[in-house]
Amino acid sequence: MNQNTKITVVVGALAVAFLSLAAGFWANAWGHQEAREEIPLVDSQFNTPDTFRQSYAELMRIKADLSDFDCYACHDKGKPPPIRYDKNHNIVVPQEHAGSIVMAHGSHDRNNLCFNCHDEQNLELLQTRDGKQLKLFESTRLCGSCHGPTYRDWDAGVHGRTGGFWDAKPNQERTRLNCVDCHNPHKPKIPGRHPAPPPHMLHPVRQVEHATTH
Amino acid sequence: MNSSNSASGAVQTGDGMNRRSFLRASAVLTTGLAALAASLKPLMELEDFPTAERFMQKYYTELTPTEMDKVLKRIADETEAQYGKRPHVRDLKPMDGVEFAYCLNLTRCIGCRKCVHACVKENNQSRNPEIQYIRVLRLPHGSMDMEKAEHHYNPEKVPEPGFFNMPVQCQQCKNPPCVKVCPVHATWTDTDGITVIDYDWCIGCRYCEAACPYWARRFNFTKPFIPKDKLNPEMAYLGNRPRRQGVMEKCHFCIQRTRDGRYPACLEVCPVGARKFGNVLDPSSEVGTILRTKRVFIQLKEELGTSPRFFYYFDV
Ligand code: HEC
Ligand code: HEC
Ligand code: HEC
Ligand code: HEC
Repeated sequence: MNQNTKITVVVGALAVAFLSLAAGFWANAWGHQEAREEIPLVDSQFNTPDTFRQSYAELMRIKADLSDFDCYACHDKGKPPPIRYDKNHNIVVPQEHAGSIVMAHGSHDRNNLCFNCHDEQNLELLQTRDGKQLKLFESTRLCGSCHGPTYRDWDAGVHGRTGGFWDAKPNQERTRLNCVDCHNPHKPKIPGRHPAPPPHMLHPVRQVEHATTH
Repeated sequence: MNSSNSASGAVQTGDGMNRRSFLRASAVLTTGLAALAASLKPLMELEDFPTAERFMQKYYTELTPTEMDKVLKRIADETEAQYGKRPHVRDLKPMDGVEFAYCLNLTRCIGCRKCVHACVKENNQSRNPEIQYIRVLRLPHGSMDMEKAEHHYNPEKVPEPGFFNMPVQCQQCKNPPCVKVCPVHATWTDTDGITVIDYDWCIGCRYCEAACPYWARRFNFTKPFIPKDKLNPEMAYLGNRPRRQGVMEKCHFCIQRTRDGRYPACLEVCPVGARKFGNVLDPSSEVGTILRTKRVFIQLKEELGTSPRFFYYFDV
């Protein structure tokens, strides 16, 4: 074998080696850049500041349908609607209101009486037990009249949620949610909700069977 | 073996090369080079190859304001080239007289994971593979045993009877083990208590990930993927600017928001108001009030001496 042939053989062998490497990469023989499993983008309901419900104030702000709040479209002024009870002395919500109202205020329905909150002389107003009249969008003070400690926490930003700026300076607004942005006044217990999807694993793993291994 | 022979042989080759063998050899050589180039293709796919500018960049604290402006412009350029949207990148410094703390009410949290996804959106985290700073644990009532924690729960409705939920993210320790192990000082704690990472200085050794007792640090094994229309253009250098493959990231209390006076994104979406954030040095702040008035606090794994700035509490 002369020197030239030697070089040709060596370079040729190297070429073959590199070519096969290239072919390997091209054909993805080592599974390196394997197409990853698709992960659907999370539904936008899970990353917006939406609350549990839309209050009267919020419905006013977004100019939604407010016909439910137009009491005197159905009721007569100066004629308070009579409250009806069933045999067990539970309040019966009339058909016309049953679509939007389920009464269950407190674990033992301790505060189900409509006129604990609504003013029976003027249905368009709310009324505290000490007779203070409030507009429908001022309900936070109504709640505060019975839930003193919670109201104090709320006032300090501890109960509920305050958004915007933690650093209160001029032009740096804070927005504090009202009680009825989260709590339905008629059924204030916070309902359960569907959670956002759990994390996806980098590499799918076998389901760990906690229950059976212990 | 005769090395002297081959050495003299090499000289002979040059002498004895004729036209035909030269052509043959060069044809083989060309093929060989082409093959070499093709085999290097995967290297070329590393689009994140450092530019000379990034490579030469100085350490964060040594950058003069003009140099920092250049760096921010480079980041904006790179981001625009990649995402087709020009971001607003700032270098936000800690504020005077401010030390942040986070309080999380475990009596309220229902485990809905809205915080997780608001954080992903705000902080430009990779959607695939998923990088998430917040991990929400589910624990049986009356237990703080992390061995019993589950974070893949997915029932129809939360909260689940018999369980409580505990979101865990960077605890912004006063005594952070992650900072101590970093061999290049790419991560440190600022005066406002936020432990930050300079993604341009990080070498991706993952020591910090191993040192963190809260599993709070995330590593970019691959190039992060963020759909172009999902990029949040309001960015900070030590915050949510896009990361590259091979660097660490973690919760930084939304620097781009909080050092601008705003609440972090996870707090803004919490539907039950379980998350509270603010300046502990201000006694009238929300966190100040909570730390003064609530009775039961938990600092996760406090026996390790990490002294978290993240407080879990219960309403009693
Ligand atoms: C769509 C028509 C309609 C509107 C609007 C309406 N009501 Fe009524 N409401 C009724 C009817 C019908 C009854 C039952 C008949 C009755 O006794 O007057 C009733 C009954 C009531 C009762 C007695 C409930 C009970 O348990 O017996 C209260 C209190 C009441 N309404 C308050 C209000 C208030 C406050 C508003 C406005 C915020 C309002 N309603 C708006 C139709 C309406
Ligand atoms: C705890 C106080 C409270 C009690 C008790 C209460 N309400 Fe209300 N109600 C409110 C408040 C506050 C609003 C305004 C809600 C908002 O801002 O979203 C309201 C709104 C309404 C509305 C208009 C909106 C809708 O959902 O239709 C009607 C009608 C109504 N109440 C009827 C009643 C009736 C009938 C009862 C008794 C069966 C009753 N309420 C008991 C506090 C109360
Ligand atoms: C007239 C007094 C009164 C007013 C006004 C009032 N509440 Fe109540 N609330 C009660 C009582 C009584 C209970 C029951 C406490 C118990 O069961 O221990 C209760 C219970 C609750 C609960 C606990 C519910 C549960 O099942 O765990 C919530 C939440 C609540 N109220 C929210 C509100 C909100 C929001 C408002 C304002 C729209 C409001 N309350 C207005 C008297 C009131
Ligand atoms: C950010 C939403 C939010 C706001 C705003 C809010 N709450 Fe609550 N509140 C909750 C949650 C969540 C609970 C947990 C109990 C549950 O599941 O109902 C709760 C519980 C309560 C309870 C039961 C006692 C307790 O502390 O567990 C009362 C009473 C109450 N809230 C009153 C109020 C009042 C009054 C206001 C306004 C001054 C208000 N809330 C504002 C979310 C809110």
